[in-house]
Amino acid sequence: MGSPNVAGQAYAFMAMTPIKPGEECPLAEYLRGLRAHGPSPLARLARTHIGRFVIVPDFHNDPTWKQRREEHLDLNYLIFTSNFDGALDSYLDELCERLAPEASEIWGRCVGCPESARGAALKAYLKHNQIKTGIFFTAYGHATVGEVKQALREREGMIAFAVASQGLEPEALQKAFLAEIGIAR
Amino acid sequence: MTRSEGVAYVHRIVSVQTTSSGPITATGTHPRNNDGQVIAITVFSTIKLQGRVFLPVLFAVTRRFPKLTGTLRQLSFIHFARWCVIGKLPYNGPPQKKGRFRYPHMYFESNFNGGWEEYIDAFSHILTSGMTAFWGSSYGFPKPLPTAPFKRYIQANETETDHYYCAYPDATSTMIQRALELDERLAALKRDAERLDPDAFAAAYRAFLTDMQKAL
Repeated sequence: MGSPNVAGQAYAFMAMTPIKPGEECPLAEYLRGLRAHGPSPLARLARTHIGRFVIVPDFHNDPTWKQRREEHLDLNYLIFTSNFDGALDSYLDELCERLAPEASEIWGRCVGCPESARGAALKAYLKHNQIKTGIFFTAYGHATVGEVKQALREREGMIAFAVASQGLEPEALQKAFLAEIGIAR
Repeated sequence: MTRSEGVAYVHRIVSVQTTSSGPITATGTHPRNNDGQVIAITVFSTIKLQGRVFLPVLFAVTRRFPKLTGTLRQLSFIHFARWCVIGKLPYNGPPQKKGRFRYPHMYFESNFNGGWEEYIDAFSHILTSGMTAFWGSSYGFPKPLPTAPFKRYIQANETETDHYYCAYPDATSTMIQRALELDERLAALKRDAERLDPDAFAAAYRAFLTDMQKAL
């Protein structure tokens, strides 16, 4: 049986890091403003299918739930999860290099993060705070981000071709298909 | 509603095949949980004593027999989902407190398309026993049906994302699965286009369109 973090070629990474007291609001503001100046920084990690940052202030306690004692988080925590292609080590190498400008603003606000929130030190910090997955479900875990994007482009092209080529004679149809859809890779 | 009727119902309400610039019916969730068509859900729940033993076994069995997630696969609007049980967090020094939680906590996240309400409805109606297996040992879990108390439970335990990203935000999970299937079949048609005469190719092309109608 393989790693519970892996399904197909996809990997489920999760790190949960404690936020320094007083840094909760600035971190939330920073994360929520990440799109204000352009695409998400996670777009620079081409192997990322879907990723998220979540600040968890506390666990929910409800007196009607018959939980004998309430439980609270000691600090606010930052969760980072990513569903990405391939192996963890090389992905974290890419993350620690390409997200270096943002990393100090994000994990730099967390307890125990190395002063220089980049490179090998940041990678070790993220790995130290990794939470193992119990079950990882993927609908298309065999396909990489590149393959998904390519298939979506092919589908769009094929739809356009199917509409435009209606009524063409066999010879013209074949010519148009080879010109517009292409030959086998 | 039988399980197959339920699946058909959910496909009708959730599955959308055309590219669009935004979510279709992101009802019941915060805009920060959206990126295009894709919606994030993040839920923590507190586990009772029996879950400490039962959940690791359930996880191990589900991993060993992936076919058990077949019904989940039928809900073709899910991209990625995960469950984790957290009994203790890695220690990073003060002011973080060291030690185990009093109760283990289950983390659940899903990335799906459609609407939040419809997603929970689908989970409750189709994965009724699966939901009970996963959340039955969590404090406050009200059973998947009826859906109203269950939705209140999820809402109470849900945390909004602060930043959410999808590499292909305009695509639904169904579109992607069908596009990947189409891509495979198209490769064969491309080979045919190079080697067949025009009449044979036209016949192969028509057969392809008929077979792949659903994927287009």
